[in-house]
Amino acid sequence: MLQRFLDPATLASISGLDLVAKTVVDGFVAGLHRSPDFGFSQEFAEYRAYSEGDDLRHVDWNVFARTDRCFLKRYRGETNSQLLILLDTSASMGYGSHPVTKLDYSRFVAASLCYMANGQRDAAGLIIFDEDVTNYVAPSTRQGQLFRLLHAIEKVETGTHTDFTKPFVHFQNFLHRRGIVVVLSDFYEKPDVIIQTVEPLRHRGNEVILFHVLDPQEIKPKFREPVLLVDMENSTNALEVSPEYARNEYRKRIDSHIEALSSKARGAGMEYFLMNTGRPLDEGLREYLAVRKGRF
Amino acid sequence: MGFLTPWFLAGAAAIGLPVWLHLLKKHKTTPLPFSSLMFFEKRTQSSIKHRRLRYLLLFALRTALILLIVLAFAHPYIEQKLMPMKRSGEVTVLALDNSLSMRAGTRLEDAKTAAKSLVSGLNPGERAQVLAIGQRVQVMSEVTDDHAPLNAAINAIEPSDARSSFGELTRTLRSIQQSLHLPMHAVLYSDMQQSGMPTNFNDLRLNSDIRLDPQPLLKKSEPNFAVENVVAPRRVYDNKKTRVLVTVAGYGTPKASRNVSLILNGRVTETKTAEIPENGRATVEFLSLDVPYGRNKGEVKIDSADPLTADDSFFFSVERGDPRHALFVHDPVTKNLLYFKAALEASGQSAFEIDPVTVDQTVNLNPSKYAFVVLADVGTLPPAFENELRNYIRGGGSVLITLGGNAARRGKVPVTDEHIETSMYAAREGERFQTAAWLDASHPAITKDDRWDGIKFYQAIRIAPGNSRVVVRLADQTPLLVDEQMGDGHILVFASTFDNVANDFPVHNSFVPFIDQTARYLGRLDSGPASVLVGSYEELRDSKETGSAVDVVDPKGERVFSLAEATKVPNIQFTQAGFYDIRRPNGRNELVAVNADRHESDLTPTTQESLSLWQNTANGTSANGEGTTAGQEKPLSLWWYIMLVVLALAVAESLLGNQHLSVDKEAA
Repeated sequence: MLQRFLDPATLASISGLDLVAKTVVDGFVAGLHRSPDFGFSQEFAEYRAYSEGDDLRHVDWNVFARTDRCFLKRYRGETNSQLLILLDTSASMGYGSHPVTKLDYSRFVAASLCYMANGQRDAAGLIIFDEDVTNYVAPSTRQGQLFRLLHAIEKVETGTHTDFTKPFVHFQNFLHRRGIVVVLSDFYEKPDVIIQTVEPLRHRGNEVILFHVLDPQEIKPKFREPVLLVDMENSTNALEVSPEYARNEYRKRIDSHIEALSSKARGAGMEYFLMNTGRPLDEGLREYLAVRKGRF
Repeated sequence: MGFLTPWFLAGAAAIGLPVWLHLLKKHKTTPLPFSSLMFFEKRTQSSIKHRRLRYLLLFALRTALILLIVLAFAHPYIEQKLMPMKRSGEVTVLALDNSLSMRAGTRLEDAKTAAKSLVSGLNPGERAQVLAIGQRVQVMSEVTDDHAPLNAAINAIEPSDARSSFGELTRTLRSIQQSLHLPMHAVLYSDMQQSGMPTNFNDLRLNSDIRLDPQPLLKKSEPNFAVENVVAPRRVYDNKKTRVLVTVAGYGTPKASRNVSLILNGRVTETKTAEIPENGRATVEFLSLDVPYGRNKGEVKIDSADPLTADDSFFFSVERGDPRHALFVHDPVTKNLLYFKAALEASGQSAFEIDPVTVDQTVNLNPSKYAFVVLADVGTLPPAFENELRNYIRGGGSVLITLGGNAARRGKVPVTDEHIETSMYAAREGERFQTAAWLDASHPAITKDDRWDGIKFYQAIRIAPGNSRVVVRLADQTPLLVDEQMGDGHILVFASTFDNVANDFPVHNSFVPFIDQTARYLGRLDSGPASVLVGSYEELRDSKETGSAVDVVDPKGERVFSLAEATKVPNIQFTQAGFYDIRRPNGRNELVAVNADRHESDLTPTTQESLSLWQNTANGTSANGEGTTAGQEKPLSLWWYIMLVVLALAVAESLLGNQHLSVDKEAA
């Protein structure tokens, strides 16, 4: 039942991104509560004596009633986690064989992650890039951060072609604290180049998750007749492709590409997750939470 | 091997469709945006060739499918040799034509000889029946396997003057077959005249169990001259005023001249020469008919010199008599008599003689000896004469009454005593005259000329017609001519006069035919034709004459009816050409001239195609009629077999096509 709300096509019909994120996360979390494998919740860590300036909302009034002293209740998750989402908006992300393009799907995922991080009081930030950084929202837990993030995600439009090397040099400058770095991209580049570019992020102690967003038609293309394919990032580049080639040769190539990227990413200590835009979002979120859990 | 509908083979051009689809259609690629081409390579050409090879079987299937469908529509067949089927219990019907045309040469004798030969060839136990076909079909024998009665029946067939009717023969064959419930082999011996065929070919439809075998006695058309028609008066009152018009026709004849003789009572009175064009007609006119008093036999004859002599004569009867008297009661001051008499004399045949009297002279007059009585605008009649008139009318007499000023003054119509409503005069201030607005053209008095448009009526007497038949009305709905029945007689009331004062009718074209027809109607003068056709009927007695004997003598001088029949038979059908003498009990004797139907004179035989069509109206009958002993070639249609192959190919095509064109399930 709840899966219905995580279906990309259903989410595409929801106009507001905040509502999309809320629908996804609420549905997902509710699903978690019923799952016997996942017992995740905010865990109690310790009591701390109240000092001036502390938020009165965290005072444990039961302890105060018994001891007549103010103690703050602290949780483990409240420590120093930071989420930085790197969203690729290159032209190829605009591809979609069904109503939800890869960029739409990525926006849903990014919004859902931001919503979830905000709910857990993680500092969430956003970097939008194609061949260069086009927008940057610094990680923060301030009031209204969620709406800033959602607004930035909402405004996202497809850009030009992807160039990993150039924007990733800049990312180093934005990362002051270690945390979780989520890269949402279709990774149309050689796996070695991708790993080499992204690997420096890992060196700073960040957990890096690569969300490889691909359309079903990109994974298993189906053509009834020969088609003239035009490259979305370079319209001068066009190729006539037979269905037989798409069905056989291409599949081998894309599979080997995914396999190479996956193995190299894991070899470099990064998490890799293939996101099929034809499937619900929860798998991506689950991946994030698995990593997030490891942080506690 | 052949095709019943070969023009469908043109549909083979439709194989161009799969050829175009599979081999000629330009490979068209649709530009499709794709995220990245880094995993693609250009390998189009080999791919298309590969596709074409893969679809070659599908192409072959489709082409074969279309070709077979076209072939099926072209209806191929093969000739199948069928062994003759023995039709158990088959009855042979021998139909011999004895119509007028069979009198030519020795046709009827030839037909009889051929029929007898067939009878002698019948196997023991094979049954047969003999029919004679003319206008009506005569059953000459029972269905029997005994040759003696069959031969006797054939011998008994005599030439007739009737017209052959193959439609009637077909109806008879159908009814005989339906009553026998056995297969029938009908052998027709006839000259197969085209004129014997019915107008509707459906009348020739045979049952499936009837096998028709026509034996034409005449292979080609023979020239024949005939007296086609004679127009002569039925009654003659003045020999000088009569004329006879003869039409002579040639059927398939060259241009020729023929002598045409007018014969009266067996004596040639006049002979003329007719120039007959090639295959055409000519008319000859005899300007006098010098016949003695009484009933006379007239005949027109030509010297045709052709084998069919029966149509060289044309009979007509003519009766010479004195004119009958008609009583005309009038006021001498008026001019009614002048115009009435002039019109009657102008009509040609002076069948009536007018006896004019004034009202005063009618006191001791008995009207019964007159053919009819005219009361031309009389006032009061002597009561005794009026009573006599009423008795005369009830006994079958007829009176014509015209109404004018005298009648209007009396206020009543004479004899009928009907009230006169008003007398209408044309006035300067009102309608200047009236015209006849409505006429009952079926009335005998005006049936030949009902154009009364221009006649101006200045005075008309309005009477209430009651139940009488209104024949003519004026524009203001005043009844102008009313026919009233009284007893067995008629009273015709004309609500104006014949004096050219109350109207201008006497100087109008329609006046003479009106007076002529009215006189004939009132005088009960029969104006029937001078001759009738063989096969027509004549009434012998009316309802009052039941029980009284009617003597009829046929052209051979023999009595047609026995004594018992003579008192009962209501009518007679004329079966022979010649003169029938009919003697009725009331003294009304009649000489009826009967002629054969001149359709028989055209000896053109029916085409072989028409005969084949006639034979093929029965399902399963052979077209050539030779299938009694030899095997028959029957076309065996291959349509069903081809359609079965088409069905199998269609299934294979859909399976293969589905395999090629279906969505990749694996990818899904």
